[in-house]
Amino acid sequence: MSDEISNINEEISDVDNCGCEEAQICIKNLRKVYKTDDSETVAVEDFSLNIRKGELVTIVGPSGCGKTTILRMIAGLLEPTSGTILIDGKAASGPGSDRGMVFQDFALFPWRSVRRNVEFGMEVAGVPKEERRTRADRYIKLVGLEKFADSRVHELSGGMKQRVGIARVLVNHPEVTLMDEPFGSLDAQTRNIMQVQLLRVLAKTDQTIIFVTHSVDEALFLSDRIIILTKRPATIKEIITVPWPRPRDRADPAFSILRKRILVELENENVMG
Amino acid sequence: MEYSRLKYDENNKYHRFSKSLGITIVSLILLLEIWWIASLLANSSFLPTPLETWDALATLYSVGDPITGKSMWQYIAASMSTFLKGFVLALVVAVPLGLVIGYSRIVRQFANPILEILRPIAPIAWAPIFIYGINYTVGPILVVFIGIFFPLLTNVIFGVMKIDQGLIDASKTLGASKLQTFTKVMIPSAVPYTMNGIKVGLGVGWMCIVAAEMFAPINAGIGYYLQEQSSVVGSGAGAFAALVIIAILGLLTIGLADYIHRVIVKRMGMEE
Ligand SMILES: Nc1ncnc2c1ncn2[C@@H]1O[C@H](COP(=O)(O)OP(=O)(O)O)[C@@H](O)[C@H]1O
Ligand SMILES: [Mg+2]
Repeated sequence: MSDEISNINEEISDVDNCGCEEAQICIKNLRKVYKTDDSETVAVEDFSLNIRKGELVTIVGPSGCGKTTILRMIAGLLEPTSGTILIDGKAASGPGSDRGMVFQDFALFPWRSVRRNVEFGMEVAGVPKEERRTRADRYIKLVGLEKFADSRVHELSGGMKQRVGIARVLVNHPEVTLMDEPFGSLDAQTRNIMQVQLLRVLAKTDQTIIFVTHSVDEALFLSDRIIILTKRPATIKEIITVPWPRPRDRADPAFSILRKRILVELENENVMG
Repeated sequence: MEYSRLKYDENNKYHRFSKSLGITIVSLILLLEIWWIASLLANSSFLPTPLETWDALATLYSVGDPITGKSMWQYIAASMSTFLKGFVLALVVAVPLGLVIGYSRIVRQFANPILEILRPIAPIAWAPIFIYGINYTVGPILVVFIGIFFPLLTNVIFGVMKIDQGLIDASKTLGASKLQTFTKVMIPSAVPYTMNGIKVGLGVGWMCIVAAEMFAPINAGIGYYLQEQSSVVGSGAGAFAALVIIAILGLLTIGLADYIHRVIVKRMGMEE
């Protein structure tokens, strides 16, 4: 990878790598204004992005800039003030299992076992019991929790909980999986392990992922493209295509150079008045 | 060296249990002492000593009540039956109502003024109205119902409103409809609060039972016996025996509810 250092700046590009027609997810001029009785907060401004099927896109930006707002609008949990979101050419409205979501605080159902958490989506979709169980068990195995299928979620560690959260979404074969700082509450070591495991799980699917993170390191390790946001209101400052194949080596000098460049951009966002 | 084996160990389940049992026993003995001293000082037949109360209890147990010809168990059965009917009625009405009020803001805004006007009225105040207005059987049940209803309703509403928004978001993004989110997420979330409401409600329910039965010679329960002993017989000891029975029944039902609460909360993985 080190011989690529000099090429980095040529290889990474600032533009979407496909048009709206070819994109699985086409987001146009998304805007969100939060209105309260005595104030208006513009959280997201003119956010446009096209994502190809199977792509893993991360979104990084200063905290409070509007990352969660963007994900929640894509998920259908939040109504955009204006703009459109197309999934496979169809306008997305309201939440649905075609856009799965993984939450930072896991949001697992504490009264359900690991298996019954993973079965939830199939249960509400009316999948028959036996099929539900086989499919759930396959995904529980995929995230390495087969020994814990009957455990209660409060018996699991944070990393294990989030593996349940990921299996619970992937088992429904969503069009896109939205992940909002999914490893944000885990310690650094668990976090690195989870990143490796996530890539291993994703290699067996052709999932499209939109992954919000605080960590530039995480973004570089995981993504095909990194979307750098401005501070609030969030708009796209720059899109970086990560040029290396996976698995990636965090210790590689090229990795550090790109990390530094992104960090400087984010810092500028924080400093600029 | 033997001493270290006797030392209290906070991490030992049996040590903790023995300690709390010991404290409970001391506190009960203290209550008994205060009662004893007070009854000796008062020197009145309306404040019997614990021993006189015990004798009255033993008589009620062995001979029953010569006036009505009822046994202690008949009195207890009548009270329990009234109490359970009021309880079940409160459960059947308050839980669904609380779920709906907690879920819908419009329903809540509509229901709040009504509830706020009715809530401060003491359940006992309804006793004469229900008993003379309806009848001796249904009246007492309704008084118990009112006593349990409000604390239970308040807790169910609170439980639905306090639900973790993240769980609702998770449910929606997993494809659940509004109704499915309500039944599969909001209702289970409200269970621990509902159980808490049941515990509080049972306590209030027992407070009402005497007032509820006081005026009801037909289907007479332990509350009627208390009233009969105080007014007709003039036996403080008999009245106190009735008090003791009510206290024990209350402790047993609330203890049972507390146990069920703990088991459910633990089984549901929802320990606070
Ligand atoms: N429900 C809301 N009402 C009003 N303001 C909100 C609401 N949710 C978020 N905001 C504001 O919008 C901005 C973006 O929030 P968010 O999308 O959560 O940021 P991020 O996820 O990037 O940290 C923040 O300034 C936040 O205070
Ligand atoms: Mg956020």
